[in-house]
Amino acid sequence: MNAGHFLAIFISSIFVSNVILSRFLGLCSFIAISKETRPALAMSSAVFFVIVMSSAITWVVYNYLLIPFDLAYLRTISFILVIASCVQLVEMVVRKFMPALYRMFGIYLPLITVNCAVLGVAVLNTDMFFSKGKPLPGSFIFSIFQGVCVGIGYTLAMLLMSAIRERLEYSRVPEAVREFPIAFVTASLMSLSFMGFNGFRF
Amino acid sequence: MGNKLIVTAAPHMHAHQSTARIMWGVSLALLPAGAAGVYLFGYAALAVIGTAVAAALATEWLLQKMTRRQVTLLDGSAFLTGLLLAYNLPSGVPLWMPAVGSFFAIAVGKQIFGGLGQNIFNPALAARAFLMASWPAYMTSFRAPGFDAVASATPLSALKEGHLRQVYSYLDLFLGNKGGCIGEVCVVGLLAGAVFLFLKGYITWHIPVSYLFTTGILHYVFGPSGLFSGDWLFYLLSGGLVLGAFYMATDYVTSPLTAQGQLIYGTGCGLLTAVIRLWGGYPEGTCYAILMMNAVSPFIDRYTRGRIYGTGKMR
Amino acid sequence: MKLLPEFLKGIIKQNPIFVLALGLCPVLAVSTSVKNALGMGAAATFVLVGSNCIVSLIKKAVPDKIRIPCFIIVIATFVTIAELVMKAYSPALNRALGIYVSLIVVNCVVLGRAEAFASHRTLPASLVDALGMGVGFTLGLALISAVRELLGSGQLLGYTILPGFQPALMMALPPGALLVIGGMLGFFNLLKGRRE
Repeated sequence: MNAGHFLAIFISSIFVSNVILSRFLGLCSFIAISKETRPALAMSSAVFFVIVMSSAITWVVYNYLLIPFDLAYLRTISFILVIASCVQLVEMVVRKFMPALYRMFGIYLPLITVNCAVLGVAVLNTDMFFSKGKPLPGSFIFSIFQGVCVGIGYTLAMLLMSAIRERLEYSRVPEAVREFPIAFVTASLMSLSFMGFNGFRF
Repeated sequence: MGNKLIVTAAPHMHAHQSTARIMWGVSLALLPAGAAGVYLFGYAALAVIGTAVAAALATEWLLQKMTRRQVTLLDGSAFLTGLLLAYNLPSGVPLWMPAVGSFFAIAVGKQIFGGLGQNIFNPALAARAFLMASWPAYMTSFRAPGFDAVASATPLSALKEGHLRQVYSYLDLFLGNKGGCIGEVCVVGLLAGAVFLFLKGYITWHIPVSYLFTTGILHYVFGPSGLFSGDWLFYLLSGGLVLGAFYMATDYVTSPLTAQGQLIYGTGCGLLTAVIRLWGGYPEGTCYAILMMNAVSPFIDRYTRGRIYGTGKMR
Repeated sequence: MKLLPEFLKGIIKQNPIFVLALGLCPVLAVSTSVKNALGMGAAATFVLVGSNCIVSLIKKAVPDKIRIPCFIIVIATFVTIAELVMKAYSPALNRALGIYVSLIVVNCVVLGRAEAFASHRTLPASLVDALGMGVGFTLGLALISAVRELLGSGQLLGYTILPGFQPALMMALPPGALLVIGGMLGFFNLLKGRRE
């Protein structure tokens, strides 16, 4: 466990294997909610929060419940339950204590349950930081850190995309490729430019 | 003179400039570097340039006919895109590559967004990244200057693979006596063209200066033997940096509008270029750095735009 | 009760990929080769059919407020079955598809059909709807992967189709996936525009 390892996770989660542009997780929300910057920011902050929280909880569930009782095959079901309850909890807490924030990203919260980025990170964490049913050293920290970085990568892609699409609103984009198709082409070129970070080494 | 590109609310002054004038002006400024490239790498380089330009013009014409838009071949933008793409290719590539690249540049890089002035990414660079991702073997086999077509590495790729680099004097790097892409090797030619662009007021200093300055500083600080030992001049003169900083990062359409935004953008380009060169997998990062900052540029614009005359404080 | 139109609509008129633009994550991630795409399509169809049937059967018993979590558990059960079967009988395919098999749980197509169709329709109608959607999804996936495999490696299902062709590696990489889906959506829009 050293700084290089953290840096590798950082660069890889944000650029090389960007959660949206390279792993295609959370793509539905990316295409649907990136039309304007404000909702995009609200959605990303909500996703960020849930990803970090669920990374921590799913690690605990996996390590202390599923592995000891030999239930690893229930990973998908238990993770999706954890995420759903996590989202529910966040929604209740935010509504009660932070009404302003709730107004900002309240409507996006329920959607996050089915955002594949959240489940994707949880599954990736267990694939990457567990070996033969044993957690690798520092895997809890790495899991949370990867959650944070994926959240940053998601936010970055969302913000850039929303600013681009706000500009495209005023462009003479041909009729047939308006909205979704042009969003995908833009995402493709963004993904192409992020390839510049391929093969990073420290 | 330098204030021509400042974006403000009305009233405006007419400056006797048009898109076509600027595009052909930039193409003219690129001439010395291209001539040097042909002199150094032979007729193969000329063939690459010709193919790229012809394919770009053909694609532009075809797509504008198909979408029933006004055909605007004479505004020089497609010509310039083809030219810039060719300048970013090694001289030894098979000729179908500049053709496919130009098609990609015009079709996916430009026309799908609605044509000139609407695109988000620099079309020539998008095409270069596409060719690099698709046929990396051709894109990284360079020839040494001279007509004998000896395979060679670029100074940057040689450095990345850990070879010594005594072969290159600063003068060699400056004049273009090194392996590399057609239009990027002759730094003196590129600088001469850049001076012309400055004098004409086609580009301002903000992007190139902040770009080169940032890259230089980072290369100086993170040198091979500890901090503050880098050979910054070597890095500034190598690779596509000069071509990128003066001719491609300054593209009006894909860079921010305000001076403040341009400084942020140039610094970002410089930072990313140095980071990719120093720690990335590719020897050269100019192309990717500019593309990434192209993606950021609408975002920069959003937060640096001036306030509208007569309204309250900037948000 | 006409079942045939319910089946056919999923293939063309409401194709989950090209018309509804749903469930795109796995579409882009596993469409590097036709083989992977067919495997993914089969798994997704299995989950769709299973979950649609069960949801249609239990629709009266499920309280309205917690119906989404209930549906998700039903779906997750079928995904787990698909995962275990795939691990047992085709470990190579399982490795190739990676985490995207588990992610069928959050595939909007599956949940969308459960919520929008099966939760208020009869069992036969839900079954046929799921089959149609599954086939439509698989066909769309196969089409995209065929384009990507052909351009990215010059092959189809592992057989070389274009001998002299220099494959554009980008098509097998993430940017290629995004480009192909963008181009196809645009193409279908164009066709739709022409017809109207």
